[in-house]
Amino acid sequence: MAHTESSGSSHWFGGEGTPTARLMMYILLAIVLMFMDQHGHYVPRIRSVLELAFEPVFHVVGWPAQAIDSLGAHTRAREDLVSENQQLKQQLLLTAASVQTQAALVQENQRLRNLLEATRGRAYQFKFAEIMQVDLDPFSHKILIDRGAREGVVVGQSVIDGLGIVGQVEAVHRHYSSVRLISDPDHALPVQINRTGLRTVAFGSGGTSHLLMPNVPLQADVSPGDKIVTSGLGDRFPPGFPVGEVVRVQRDSGDTFAVVYVRPFAALDRGREVLLIEPSAPSEPALDEQP
Amino acid sequence: MNTGRENRRLVFLTVVAAILLSLLPLPEALLPFKPYWVAMVVIYWALETQDMMGMGLAFLTGLVLDVLSGSLMGMHALSLVVMVFLVQRFRSRLRFFPPWQQALSVFGLLVNDRIILIWITALLGEPMPTWKYWLAPLVGMALWPWIFLLLDRMRASMRQRSS
Repeated sequence: MAHTESSGSSHWFGGEGTPTARLMMYILLAIVLMFMDQHGHYVPRIRSVLELAFEPVFHVVGWPAQAIDSLGAHTRAREDLVSENQQLKQQLLLTAASVQTQAALVQENQRLRNLLEATRGRAYQFKFAEIMQVDLDPFSHKILIDRGAREGVVVGQSVIDGLGIVGQVEAVHRHYSSVRLISDPDHALPVQINRTGLRTVAFGSGGTSHLLMPNVPLQADVSPGDKIVTSGLGDRFPPGFPVGEVVRVQRDSGDTFAVVYVRPFAALDRGREVLLIEPSAPSEPALDEQP
Repeated sequence: MNTGRENRRLVFLTVVAAILLSLLPLPEALLPFKPYWVAMVVIYWALETQDMMGMGLAFLTGLVLDVLSGSLMGMHALSLVVMVFLVQRFRSRLRFFPPWQQALSVFGLLVNDRIILIWITALLGEPMPTWKYWLAPLVGMALWPWIFLLLDRMRASMRQRSS
């Protein structure tokens, strides 16, 4: 017993120690790495350099899925395409109708803002990006998108899909970026309940089926069915984008806060395309000040 | 001497293939069935060769997998090191097991690994995974004899070509 211990400690870094000692060393190293990664010491930076080096791997891995996709597109029946086309046309018409009414609303809003001499609000521009077909660790709460620094993506940009907020850009590489999903337990999203205007924070739960709002006062007016939108506080996410819908409110009289479960609108685990919200020019008055 | 180098190249190739395989996107329905490819390859080399797959190489492999799959740095490294340690510890016994018994021990290794992963992710605040989480080790067990045969065949043909 004493013998193995002494021989283990004498060859700590020589790689010849007893297997147990070496196992302990590696476990310790792994724990230190995990801790540093979790708390953002050095490791994330090293990791982003390595990701850059490994970039071709992501493209290679995506090929089979792309091939299958294009194969599927080529072999689809004509009737399918026609009916889909029909469907899309109808959808477009419906969307166009609602956009028309919106245009009137925007004008009215602008006029009222002018009357109040308030700022002109913000207009957003979107950039299309496709989700890369790479199967990441389910606990990483990350997706990769096929736009990077070359296409002007910046860290912190909000990412949405057709239905709601997806996440924010976490790291930007040359041709791709990684996006942190709102389902990450470490992710906090400043939100507002649309009906009452109550502002709170929605945290990820680790699962893609719901988010948690643990800081809602017990007496607050929240009920299932309420729509949740971003509040714009914190200046990361622009205000007014849909996040999800309240599905359950848990009020324990012993607690200080109610726990509210929110079902996110965005397809966090099965989307294909996303939109990046361009960092907008803050407001019009800033432009007016220029000569 | 020459076969040693050939073997090393084969280890490299199979590990890279396993990493790519684990990144390959699968349809949503098949996702819970995805076996831990890298672990199976690592177990094979640790079991069948004396010195090709040590704890150091397992650690390195795990780190590469961590970077690529976006998991916490060191998570897969830890899991693979523990796996190689266990295989080396019980190597003399495992090698002479009949295939089904060996598959059963591989199942044990994979389940043990999942327990370690749960423990780590629980510390990160992740919720408890559903029962589907335990399907992957079962699939791994079912695939083990085939992977074993495939890698054995590859090694044999490599040896033939070099001699």
